[in-house]
Amino acid sequence: MAAGCHFEPITSDETKTIEVALFEGGFGIEWHKDMARQYEQLHPGVKINLWGDPRVDEKIKPRVLRGNPPDLASCTLPVWKLITAGRLYPMDDALASPAYGAKGKTWKETLRAGVLADYVYENKTYALPSNLGVWACWYSKKLFREHGWDAPSTWDELTALCEKMLAAGIAPLAFQGKYPQYAWSTILSCYQRLVPFEKWYAIEDFTKGAFLDPSFVKAADLMQELAVKYFQKGALAMTHTESQMEWANGRAGMVFCGLWLKKEMEKALPDDFEMACFAVPMVTGGTGDPKAIYSGGGESFFIFRDAKHPEIAADFLKFLLSIEPARDYVKRNDSLTPVIDCQVGIKISSALQSAVDAIEGSTRMYSDRLNTLYIEWHRTLVQQAQADLLRGAITGQQFADRLEAGAEAVRNNSNIYKPPARGVPAL
Amino acid sequence: MSPKHLSRDTKRFLWIGILPSALLYGLFVVWPAINALMYSFTRWDGLSTPVWIGIDNFVNLFKSGSDFVTAISHNIYLTVVPGSIILTLALFFAWMIHLKVAGSTLFRVTFFFPNVIASVAVALLWVLLYSTTEMGPINNIRQALHMEKVPFLESARLLQSIVPMMVWSATGFYLVLFLAAMENIPVDYYEAAHLDGASPTLQFIRITLPLMWDVLTTGIIFLIVGGLKFFDAVWVMENGRPSPATHTMSSLMYAKVFEEYNVGYGTAIAVLLFVLVLIITRISMRLLKRERLEY
Repeated sequence: MAAGCHFEPITSDETKTIEVALFEGGFGIEWHKDMARQYEQLHPGVKINLWGDPRVDEKIKPRVLRGNPPDLASCTLPVWKLITAGRLYPMDDALASPAYGAKGKTWKETLRAGVLADYVYENKTYALPSNLGVWACWYSKKLFREHGWDAPSTWDELTALCEKMLAAGIAPLAFQGKYPQYAWSTILSCYQRLVPFEKWYAIEDFTKGAFLDPSFVKAADLMQELAVKYFQKGALAMTHTESQMEWANGRAGMVFCGLWLKKEMEKALPDDFEMACFAVPMVTGGTGDPKAIYSGGGESFFIFRDAKHPEIAADFLKFLLSIEPARDYVKRNDSLTPVIDCQVGIKISSALQSAVDAIEGSTRMYSDRLNTLYIEWHRTLVQQAQADLLRGAITGQQFADRLEAGAEAVRNNSNIYKPPARGVPAL
Repeated sequence: MSPKHLSRDTKRFLWIGILPSALLYGLFVVWPAINALMYSFTRWDGLSTPVWIGIDNFVNLFKSGSDFVTAISHNIYLTVVPGSIILTLALFFAWMIHLKVAGSTLFRVTFFFPNVIASVAVALLWVLLYSTTEMGPINNIRQALHMEKVPFLESARLLQSIVPMMVWSATGFYLVLFLAAMENIPVDYYEAAHLDGASPTLQFIRITLPLMWDVLTTGIIFLIVGGLKFFDAVWVMENGRPSPATHTMSSLMYAKVFEEYNVGYGTAIAVLLFVLVLIITRISMRLLKRERLEY
């Protein structure tokens, strides 16, 4: 394994310490800690000071401004401001170096295609996701079996299922209402079902008028219908843990969420829950790809250029995202990593199996990066517009108008970095 | 003794005593404040070189539809609505306790109790009270009465939900403040008024209020300053992500500087917040100024 090391060998009489700061969310940081100890054994001259916090970004952001960042971090940051200001360390040298545990392959060759694309600036890669996510609607197979319900494959079937749940006295959908951005991926997935990818990526490219597309308005209207008719009462005042607990306890039948849900709610889920998921269903009359799935990297890692040992941080990250640690991650966190075939041959849960099936059965994986590119637009305008849409205060058309007006302001602001249009990425 | 009559040695001693504090104050308060003022005239992300843009940040703060204008309106709401309720209740309860109604000692402790709890803990407590899950007692009672659950913590109605929390947590402090002022008023005045046939209400209006006016003014200034720099409850109840529906000036300033790295704009908010607090406090003091009554 040590053959994969790409930084200068450390002499035995000096110990170099790197600091790793992690978002401590659904997946926890136990796996990271164990991997750090393994790495230290492989590299006796390296000490890893690894810590996590659910609000790690509140601690890291001021430190970055002070010029005192950790070496490696996984948290929410104004990434593009850091990239364009030259504060992040490019990972291309590490990506081109031999991978840990995969003889004859570079690190890049061991990673799934597409996971490096979101943070490329001037042909350099500035971030790597620590896991591979999928956006889906989660349910209990046991609950569905007991009531004779089937997972829906069309939007009409979804709303019909919601009606059946209401009739059975179960709130159809839990929702993480204190974070309206949880609706964003569902709206974008619904829009993808309605239009060809050329139109979907027009939104990602911030093309003028893209949000005014009638199909985008329809996607917003469909999301609003779900919220107004089928969200659990009081859901708009619930945090992610509160609403997901309602779902785990069977008071709500389904919840839209990422793959981290299983690990996040692990202790609350009954043993016989049989968690499974289905992708956002096809919308009748839509012209989008019915087999594409909203999926991509999550909880990205960044290395800071002005950190003490960025090259060691890159090597530690390479170790984390190598085949053996990745397989351990799958076993322990019941989730996927960007490392190719990390789940092959491992006995996985029904929840993860359904996510793997959704990914493997998909024709394309796609995901959004507007929330990292235009954070002010997303954190203020989109968040508020979504909250208003979900509580029925504005129509889908007004929602689209607001987003487009905000996008126009961004387009006209020369101080905000806008990447070149990507169009539809090659498969 | 006036300063000019102090001996040279005494003056030197005083300067030596003051200097460390003055240096620390200058280093950690005055110098950062001057820097903040300078940054407020720049476009700066905290990462690259600041670009001088004159008063553009201040102009943008007041542009139509600006998030800052909305945030100010939230501060005004959180100053005026809970402030007037707190003042009224604190005066009423202080007066009742001053009149030694039955159980007044117990009431004094009970009302003051919420004030000893840290503001973040108060906010977390009310998050629990307002919860729409089975953990929320208020909504549980509503359900038991066959009423719909109310999403008190939804961003669109959070500011209204904060009002009872502020009243609950702050009334005790003002009660104790006002009660102390009331108890300093010589009892002779009340006895004389009583002999002249003045009712308790008239005594309150003609004796108590005028003689505690300075303390009342201080209380009002506290409420105004507290309302203008309101931050913690919004931050906690919005889980660190206030929306435009709930941002106050302070939370918006924090979000702009530390969340979005829009440091120039954020410091412009800080400068304006300082100026607003200064101006409004001065205006309030001028409006509330009365001839001081000695007793």
